[in-house]
Amino acid sequence: MSLSGLSRVSLSAVKADRFVSILKSLIWIAALLLVVELIVVALGIRPYYLPRPSAIAAAFLATPQAYLLSMWRTLLETVIGFVAGSLFGVAMGVLFHRWTLLRELFFPLFVVSQTIPVIAFGAVVVLWFGNTLLAKAVIAFYISFLPVTVNALLGFATVDPRQVALMRSFGAKEGQILRRLYLPAALPQIFVALKLASSLSLIGAIVGEWFGDTTGLGVLLLQAMYNENVVGIWVTIVASACLGIGLYGAVSEAERRIVFWGAEQ
Amino acid sequence: MTDMSIAWSEDYACGLNPGARGLAGLLRPVKTKALAAPAAEPAWTVSGDRPLIELRKVSKSFGPVMALDNLEATIFPGELVTVVGPSGCGKSTLFNILAGLEEPDPGNILRFRGRSSAASELLGQVSFMPQRDLLLPWRNVIDNAILALEIEGMPRVQARAEALKMLPEFGLSGFEAQYPNQLSGGMRQRVALMRTFLFKRDLMLLDEPFGALDALTRTMMQRWLLDVWQKHRRTVLFITHDVDEAIFLGDRVLVMTARPGKVKLEQKIDLPRPRKADIVTSPEFIGLKKTLLDAIEEESMKSFMTSGH
Repeated sequence: MSLSGLSRVSLSAVKADRFVSILKSLIWIAALLLVVELIVVALGIRPYYLPRPSAIAAAFLATPQAYLLSMWRTLLETVIGFVAGSLFGVAMGVLFHRWTLLRELFFPLFVVSQTIPVIAFGAVVVLWFGNTLLAKAVIAFYISFLPVTVNALLGFATVDPRQVALMRSFGAKEGQILRRLYLPAALPQIFVALKLASSLSLIGAIVGEWFGDTTGLGVLLLQAMYNENVVGIWVTIVASACLGIGLYGAVSEAERRIVFWGAEQ
Repeated sequence: MTDMSIAWSEDYACGLNPGARGLAGLLRPVKTKALAAPAAEPAWTVSGDRPLIELRKVSKSFGPVMALDNLEATIFPGELVTVVGPSGCGKSTLFNILAGLEEPDPGNILRFRGRSSAASELLGQVSFMPQRDLLLPWRNVIDNAILALEIEGMPRVQARAEALKMLPEFGLSGFEAQYPNQLSGGMRQRVALMRTFLFKRDLMLLDEPFGALDALTRTMMQRWLLDVWQKHRRTVLFITHDVDEAIFLGDRVLVMTARPGKVKLEQKIDLPRPRKADIVTSPEFIGLKKTLLDAIEEESMKSFMTSGH
């Protein structure tokens, strides 16, 4: 009893700690924005180069609907591509791990596929899938799966062969060993790749939108650029940053919860 | 059980007195003959208790390196047999074969419950505990303990209930929800032992389970293991490099030769059970220890010389 009570106390302490640290970083961001604002005003920097943070905020608040819709659209493309890419990446890792022949045949192809810039593929993807949400998700997928495959393989390689031998001595089948040993053991490595893939898939989605669409952060960025609407560009940049940070934060939080044992072993 | 023990000591009497054989005698594989002979005798089957596992002419080479050479051993149900030998003598190879993880070279005879089998048929038949505890860091104590049961296909709820009942006996009550990184070395080892015990098989293979523990914890664990063993009466094959441990725990001690490994000496331990901690200072214990140490010393020297240092 006393033990669980103790852990509850420490748990709430941890929560309080986290709240304080979030508050701290918010204060830091606010202070930074204020400093930028003051510098822009004091040095008389023209909005063409760097608009005041307050002007950026005002532009957002003038038409929040458009920005929020675009963020939602881009988020959707990113998440679909990211989830598909992660699952595909892990699945390929498993296949390559299980069948070394497959790995020798196709892994180099995988790497080569990634040396082709995604931009070069964008047009083809849009031709294939049309001006749809799916087309952007495909680009996000394409750009995000390889790091996951590579890190899954890396994670599988860290598994102690004695651990595998133990499972086999219990009469475990390949599938049981995979599910109970290889996959959980590779999770710390996989999460490193997932964090990278979350940023990459956002890039994929935004770039994908440049090939033609009506909503999305990429579209807003292009429109603002053609109109030389500098403040609009900056709002889109901030919105993209928020999406990126949010995605990364979500993946980090999932990592913290799922891989609670850390890299111990 | 008791009349069986008498039968062995008679059968092995000729091979059990290395002092009488002299140094040259020890170098020759005298044991092979002494071990092979009883197998042919009908007295073994008459006594009713058939060997659980029999190894004859078991060799194993890895490329040019010969790990085991014509190893012969017999283990009876309910016995606790300890195996000692110099490092690199193929003890672990022997265990891997018995656990079904490695196939011996062709020409061997491996009988499990009287039936000739390939080593791979032993997969899932033997509960094996390797040197390191090998607990999964993402599973708490109870879920680590039920790993083997889960693989067998037992529903988790049922397996957990079974493990929970065993916790106090392993000194782990109240710790079921802890994770391995929160446990001490001795506790982790007990979780690993519990995992091995829960996987109810006729033969338990323990590979230096207490090797990494400090001396005090190790003594406690040995006494505790004897208690648990006496209660459950499993057949145990126990690898160690600690002669005291081998004598204190074992019904018989097998001393292995330097590589390539075979059984050099088979020593019956007639010390009464239950064994108290102070038994290690009794003259009988010291006598046994001297016999075993002499045999091991010789082999250690050999392996030391051949390794070129």
